[in-house]
Amino acid sequence: MAKLLERRLTPADSPLAIFATTTGAFLVAMFVTSFLFLSYGASPFEAYFALFHEPFATLRGFGYSLVRTSPLALIALGTIVSWRSGFSYLGFEGCFVIGASAATWFALLTAPGAGIGPLPFSFFLPLAILAAFVAAGIWAGLVGLVRAWLGGNEVLISLMSNYVAIFILQYLVGGPIRAPGSLPETKLLPRATWLPFIIPGTRAHAGILIAIAAAALVWMLLQKMPLGYELIVTGFNASAARYAGIDVGRRILLSAFFAGGLGGLAGMVDVLGAQHRLMDGISGGVGFVGIVVALLARLNPVAVIPTALLYGGLSVGADAMQRRASIPSSITFILQSLAVLLVLAFDALRYYKVNFAAFSGRTPPPVAEEVSK
Amino acid sequence: MSAFVVAWLTASLRLAGPVLLAALGETFAEQSGVLNIGIEGTILLGALGSFLTSYYTGMIWLSLLVAVLVGIAANSILAWMYVTVRASQVVAGLVFNVLAVGVASTVYRKALGNSALPESITMFQPLHIPILSNLPGIGPALFSQTILFYLTIALAFIAHFILFRTNFGLALRASGENPAAADSAGISVQRMRYAGTLISGAAAGMAGGYLVLAQVGLFRETIVSGQGFIALGIVIFGRWHPLKATLAAMVFGACDALQLSLQIFGTHIPPQLLLALPYIVTILAISGLFGGKAVQPAALMTPYVKD
Repeated sequence: MAKLLERRLTPADSPLAIFATTTGAFLVAMFVTSFLFLSYGASPFEAYFALFHEPFATLRGFGYSLVRTSPLALIALGTIVSWRSGFSYLGFEGCFVIGASAATWFALLTAPGAGIGPLPFSFFLPLAILAAFVAAGIWAGLVGLVRAWLGGNEVLISLMSNYVAIFILQYLVGGPIRAPGSLPETKLLPRATWLPFIIPGTRAHAGILIAIAAAALVWMLLQKMPLGYELIVTGFNASAARYAGIDVGRRILLSAFFAGGLGGLAGMVDVLGAQHRLMDGISGGVGFVGIVVALLARLNPVAVIPTALLYGGLSVGADAMQRRASIPSSITFILQSLAVLLVLAFDALRYYKVNFAAFSGRTPPPVAEEVSK
Repeated sequence: MSAFVVAWLTASLRLAGPVLLAALGETFAEQSGVLNIGIEGTILLGALGSFLTSYYTGMIWLSLLVAVLVGIAANSILAWMYVTVRASQVVAGLVFNVLAVGVASTVYRKALGNSALPESITMFQPLHIPILSNLPGIGPALFSQTILFYLTIALAFIAHFILFRTNFGLALRASGENPAAADSAGISVQRMRYAGTLISGAAAGMAGGYLVLAQVGLFRETIVSGQGFIALGIVIFGRWHPLKATLAAMVFGACDALQLSLQIFGTHIPPQLLLALPYIVTILAISGLFGGKAVQPAALMTPYVKD
């Protein structure tokens, strides 16, 4: 008698199989989370309606979703560049903070009467991008240097570096660039340095355009450029890459720099587009949720923007739900991370195929055919 | 010896306790071939479990037991991800930490509402061992800690014995060093890795209980703030060896305590630089400047597929 589930030798990797397991995992995560809503006496259907209605079906809410999407997407893109090069960087919380600090510093210098003085926005923006990208790129590049030269474990070092970056931020907003007042934060940035709002009547700002452009560039780098190919080869098999004449250390350093730079842009976009000032606690875990987004997008730059929009929107919906129904917004953290854990678990399913012959009672196909697939 | 040094040494040992406990457990996981990054979240869940138990029952040992059980339960999910699903250990551990933050803050708010005042609980008090604790200098530092500190030191010796003097320890280390060879010698690599991960879960949960019941006395979402990651650093700095990890944890505790003592005594150094010190020291310790790559379990982070 044929078994209903047959084991495959390689996982099914058609786009349909991947999409099906990802969506299935997300639905199961929603199912599990609905029990949490029940514990608050809320109907899961109404809760999910509330969770998705505000961010995706109202203009104002959609604007907020785009605001949350841009930093998540940029961090996810940084994750893709580093992880696909075999550099398991986890320091995006730190890159976010460093990029935000660099952009703030530069923006404050362009205030009327400050060191540089007002600049036209078309000069200011490229320079701000450069400042945030390079500062955070060097920050992450240091970890790349340790890995490439000394063989240190980048996973732990980058995790630690997050805390160091947060202390640097606390020092900056507590002393050198602190505004007078009781809170550790800077002055409001000059209006001329704000990213333009792009949808009238919402808070949506041009950061989303920067994120989309970055996604296109990362896609080009990884799919179309020799350097991207070398990065991916380095990630797949470092010794094979070395044998092929690729300088593995230099590639890792470069991927760390790019990844950190993208994380820094996330900080810049958030501070110039949404917060308009630097303050303690500005990152609030976005560095880790961004990694989670990249994982759910399966390290594919094209899938990053919709995935980041889903996760950004969920966080907006959760805040609305907390305001209206006093269900804590931390429930979305559970939903968001559970979905990825289940995606990992569901990936095991792609090693199986449903044997429809088992239903009809016909004889199973010979095993040899299985191998040739 | 001045009051400063005595206060500093006492605080060093006090702060070393929870990270050491977590590092001891992590040593078992890593020796079996599993890099368990999820201990950061496990500590948080253990802290929450012990806090709530203590808050509702006031029974301090029961609270510690609950922390251990929570740690084991949480890590049975992780072990399944690492060993059975063979997911990337970095990914599964990292995402688990995000999940733990979500669970901890949701459960805490569910249990205590949005009360602004943090509720305090009964804690383990320092034991003043007669005569010894009056020794000049190191007396108060070594002999007036809480019972959890002495328990942790005892566990370090027990961990060392189990890892290096028992068949179980040998089998565990073989699974992390050369799983294929261990497998052909009749060792179940999967079972060993489950054991390693669950031991690290128990220890990390207990470390969370230690934090709440002997150091902080209340629960906050930021209570762990990277101590699980520091424990991972201590495992590397201690060369995957429980007794060396004990010394490494003391070094970390000393940095952390220096920061506290200097702040109390008042200096012109920015407090953030001092606060960052333990993290910077850990980064330097694991950067590879002092060697270390060669002694890590050879199959660390490599899922084992039986042919």
